[in-house]
Amino acid sequence: MIDANQLMARVRARDARSFEALYDGFGKLVHGVALRMLGNAATAEDVTQSVFLKIWTSPDLYRGGSFASWVVRVTRNRCLDVLRKDSKNADSEIPEDLPEAEILEDQVTLRIDAERARSAMAQLPAEQRTPIELGFFDGLTHEQIALRLDVPLGTIKTRIRAGLHKLRASLEEARR
Amino acid sequence: MNDHDHFLDDVAVYALGALPRAEADAVRAHMRDCEICRDEYAALTQTGTMMSASASTAPSDLVKRRIMREVRGERAVRSTPLWPAYLVAAASFVIAVISTASNLSLEGRSHLATSQVAQLEHTSASLRSELATQRRMLADVVGADARRYVAGHGEVITNSNRVYLALNSLPAVPHGKTYQAWTQQRGAKTMTPSVLFVPDLQGRAVVQLPTKDAGNIVAVAVSVEPASGSKAPTTAPVFLVATE
Repeated sequence: MIDANQLMARVRARDARSFEALYDGFGKLVHGVALRMLGNAATAEDVTQSVFLKIWTSPDLYRGGSFASWVVRVTRNRCLDVLRKDSKNADSEIPEDLPEAEILEDQVTLRIDAERARSAMAQLPAEQRTPIELGFFDGLTHEQIALRLDVPLGTIKTRIRAGLHKLRASLEEARR
Repeated sequence: MNDHDHFLDDVAVYALGALPRAEADAVRAHMRDCEICRDEYAALTQTGTMMSASASTAPSDLVKRRIMREVRGERAVRSTPLWPAYLVAAASFVIAVISTASNLSLEGRSHLATSQVAQLEHTSASLRSELATQRRMLADVVGADARRYVAGHGEVITNSNRVYLALNSLPAVPHGKTYQAWTQQRGAKTMTPSVLFVPDLQGRAVVQLPTKDAGNIVAVAVSVEPASGSKAPTTAPVFLVATE
């Protein structure tokens, strides 16, 4: 199992092998999110390269906690920058500082393999899955989602919350 | 739905990353005082990360090759850094001078005036102290505990509550000018003037910044200033590095 915190400590000491192990552990996650958000293989690979080189040149940007959550945020924000340049989106963002309460270990995240996560997503009712995907992977704000789906804003928020809770329950079940 | 459910809905949208900045700021402000919402946010952020796994796809092998080429290329440069060689050269020079001074005092004592011997011994003691300082600097900048921050023309390095600039390829300063370092303490709004220095002929400079509290320094900068230094920067920084 990858201990990303230990690897990052070695990356700070300029250990290229630990950095390579980090890429091997999280490269698919970063690239997958980028490809899903941008829909373009070449740009997704550029973002992947850019995210990991940022990790190498500025390892102190990561301040502990779940590395997977942090790197997903960094990737999403990088993709949102690309999408904004193309004027496709408004100004949503996720801060890259993680809350102190976030203690999910990376081993837990990595045990959720791609297939189980896809299956859990597929089990969500469409009225919950679609706004979640539009918000997370397409970078739309809640207002844009409401507009696109022609659903009241309050309803969208409630569906997002309910969907995330249902997803959480499915993924927790898949872990056992 | 009660009043607080409204906040919980916003927290969920925030965790998803779908709140515009202004509303995100409001949610963050609310969460500072609301443990329920903080727990909700932590739980749902985890869910978002787990959900990301549904998109996992390996990039082409070329991506890893390009990344590692840059990483290893940088490491190849770093494996023969200029500044330790600079310090070793300086230390070697100091050792040679000390040895010469010692030999003179041992072999030629009988031919020298007492005052000359005393002066040589004083010089020898000063040089020994300088050598000890150089050795400590070398240990600090190459040590495994050193924290390095990439800066224009080199690095800012912290170790054992000391701060160093290890720079190379610095352009020569114009006549009447000098490089000046600046530090910013945590909570301070302005930068504090620090040492003045000029690089050697190869553009190298290894400088310790005098500070009693390196742990509270959050930024280091260098600018070009008049030869006598400045109380506040008069030119744009050559570099500005955050060190926390």
